[in-house]
Amino acid sequence: MLLIPCPNCGPRDETEFHYGGQAHVPYPENPNELTDTEWSRYLFYRENPKGIFAERWVHSTGCRQWFNMLRDTVSYDIQAVYPMGTRRPDLAADPAVEAGTASTAADSTTTGTAAPSLSATSLAASPTRTAPEGATK
Amino acid sequence: MAETAASPTQSSAEQNLSARVSPARQLAEAFTAGSLAGTVELSELPFLTMVGLRADAGSETAQRLAAATGGLPAASGAVATTGDTSVLWLGPSEFLVVAPTEAHESLGGDLIPALREALGNDAGQVVDLSANRTTFELVGPRVRAVLEKGCSLDLHPRVFKTGTAFSTEIANIPAILWKTGEDSFRIFPRASFAEFLGRWLLDAMREYASPEVP
Amino acid sequence: MSTQHLPEHPDFLWRNPEPKSSYDAVIVGGGGHGLATAYFLAKNHGMTNIAVLEKGWLAGGNMARNTTIIRSNYLWDESAAIYEHALKLWEILPEELEYDFLFSQRGVMNLAHTLGDVRESIRRVGANKLNGVDAEWLDPQQVKELCPILNIRDNIRYPVMGATYQPRAGIAKHDHVAWAFARKCDEMGVDIIQNCEVTGFLKDGDRVVGVKTNRGTINTEKVGLCAAGHSSVLAEMAGFQLPIQSHPLQALVSELHEPVHPTVVMSNHVHVYVSQAHKGELVMGAGVDSYNGYGQRGSFHVIEQQMAAAVELFPIFARAHVLRTWGGIVDTTLDASPIVGLTPVENMFVNCGWGTGGFKGTPAAGMTFAHTIATGTPHRLNKPFSLERFETGALIDEHGAAAVAH
Repeated sequence: MLLIPCPNCGPRDETEFHYGGQAHVPYPENPNELTDTEWSRYLFYRENPKGIFAERWVHSTGCRQWFNMLRDTVSYDIQAVYPMGTRRPDLAADPAVEAGTASTAADSTTTGTAAPSLSATSLAASPTRTAPEGATK
Repeated sequence: MAETAASPTQSSAEQNLSARVSPARQLAEAFTAGSLAGTVELSELPFLTMVGLRADAGSETAQRLAAATGGLPAASGAVATTGDTSVLWLGPSEFLVVAPTEAHESLGGDLIPALREALGNDAGQVVDLSANRTTFELVGPRVRAVLEKGCSLDLHPRVFKTGTAFSTEIANIPAILWKTGEDSFRIFPRASFAEFLGRWLLDAMREYASPEVP
Repeated sequence: MSTQHLPEHPDFLWRNPEPKSSYDAVIVGGGGHGLATAYFLAKNHGMTNIAVLEKGWLAGGNMARNTTIIRSNYLWDESAAIYEHALKLWEILPEELEYDFLFSQRGVMNLAHTLGDVRESIRRVGANKLNGVDAEWLDPQQVKELCPILNIRDNIRYPVMGATYQPRAGIAKHDHVAWAFARKCDEMGVDIIQNCEVTGFLKDGDRVVGVKTNRGTINTEKVGLCAAGHSSVLAEMAGFQLPIQSHPLQALVSELHEPVHPTVVMSNHVHVYVSQAHKGELVMGAGVDSYNGYGQRGSFHVIEQQMAAAVELFPIFARAHVLRTWGGIVDTTLDASPIVGLTPVENMFVNCGWGTGGFKGTPAAGMTFAHTIATGTPHRLNKPFSLERFETGALIDEHGAAAVAH
């Protein structure tokens, strides 16, 4: 069971969330101009790294908000949580980001408090209106 | 329970109310039988008025809605209470207003029209959700032990403060859990899950009917 | 300390050779598909100067972790053809490999719990019959006759409204299947090299000419990838992408019981499938975990839901104990069908995307993939399962027939 640090509600059980697949996949600007190969890339090809993966999650039974997360697909450690529409954080450039592993956080068994520790998860600001990127771009 | 026999002296609103069947009505006797006075007691508070609000936090719309309700909560867990009306935080731009039954428009209450007027034509929502969920009240010194069987939030009082509410899962179903007092919770399950959750809670309470094994 | 001597080690079924500096073909992945591919390369195409590279121990990945179900009742012509060919091979392989790997044609039932399920199932039975696949539609009473421990009462959340049934389907002992292939491969001169992890590929332009491993570089004319959940990792090393996602898939067994479960029962809707292995343990699988993962483990709530579904369908299981649970990494495609064919890299071929259903396809995957590697062109049976179908749009959507786990 993953313990996922929701940027709005704090750490919650994985069962409260739904998975949204790879993050940062923009809808093509002009789908009609794509070749079949390019269109197949958008439609069927996603990254499948063994290691850090940028992915989308939605806190379905909590705040119902989407967010992005960097997670290690081998250790399942959660390395960063960041708002939809923002760039993927550079883990190497910001060592503080790596402190945000859900499984080892000191408060990992607490409820979402009014002020979840955003600094540990590289969140500059609380996301406001968010939607899956693929749906809006 | 709202089981008043219809009589000719009732107003039409009262007649409407008496014709309603709450989502866990069929469990009313079981709740009474399964409740343990002074230990843990379960009941349904049917037909509370509930209104879903959506507005961008900090926007003018949100400020007008806040003025109508007496305030909007700012973050996860927060509940803004004014008089008998409470607003629960569900998300950064989503709130649930909970008010007594008689606050409902159909019974002459002005809460919903006031909210609708506050929203005006702006982007956002004011939706009557009174029939969407029902309310369970769970009280007594054993409530925490009962809930801990199916809720993964930390229910210890040093973490889960009186007067806070969280949207979470109880017994694998989505529900809102509102701590209304040291030993009392309100639980809002969706109407369709009410019977399941009611039976689950009765089962979870059952062990406390027996004397504690030293 | 015991002074007694250990008993004699039984005969080894294959050698543990050092890798040679070059081979005619290298198969990456020493699981069922890799071994079957090597077997058919040697037997059907006379290619015996070949190696199977396995990064761990032989058949220690998904081949050791699957729930051993074999069936061919897929919807579309292309799938029915390749899975039915696999089933026909399963029927003759014990004799051909001279190894009784306990292939037991005890039948497989796919339960229907909703009217949508019923419609899809009856449609699939019809399609199966047209393709020469044995298939029947059973009403709940017939379901009960075939599997008396199933709960067919209508007071459960997802009552049994019927089932498709394939009598020739069944299970086999997965380890023995791998050992049977490995022994024959070894006899024909194939080098099975364990603890040999591929770390890169040597290319001459767009053509692969060698494999880099933790045990040195191996020159080769052809490379076949049979790495299931790790196919994306290998493809990336070789410089191309695959439209697959790797997910954890979990399974569990109970402790041993007297024979209580005569067939195999699968339920797409409540996400559980159950058979009873020869030794007596109940073998159960669930759906995949939603997130991508290479950890060979998943989340416990998936096991919990799978057990809940199993106990509702089989009340008798309520007092059984779980002995152990585990996870494997499955490579899923968007149309729930495999990819067997050429790649953008010349002389490199890929067999992947079998998702949760790779075990049943083992012999046909091996036979067609060997043909593809040996001749450079796909076999008639795997031609539709090309990488190009994601560009042409000629998808083979088997979510209905493969649905338990995708």
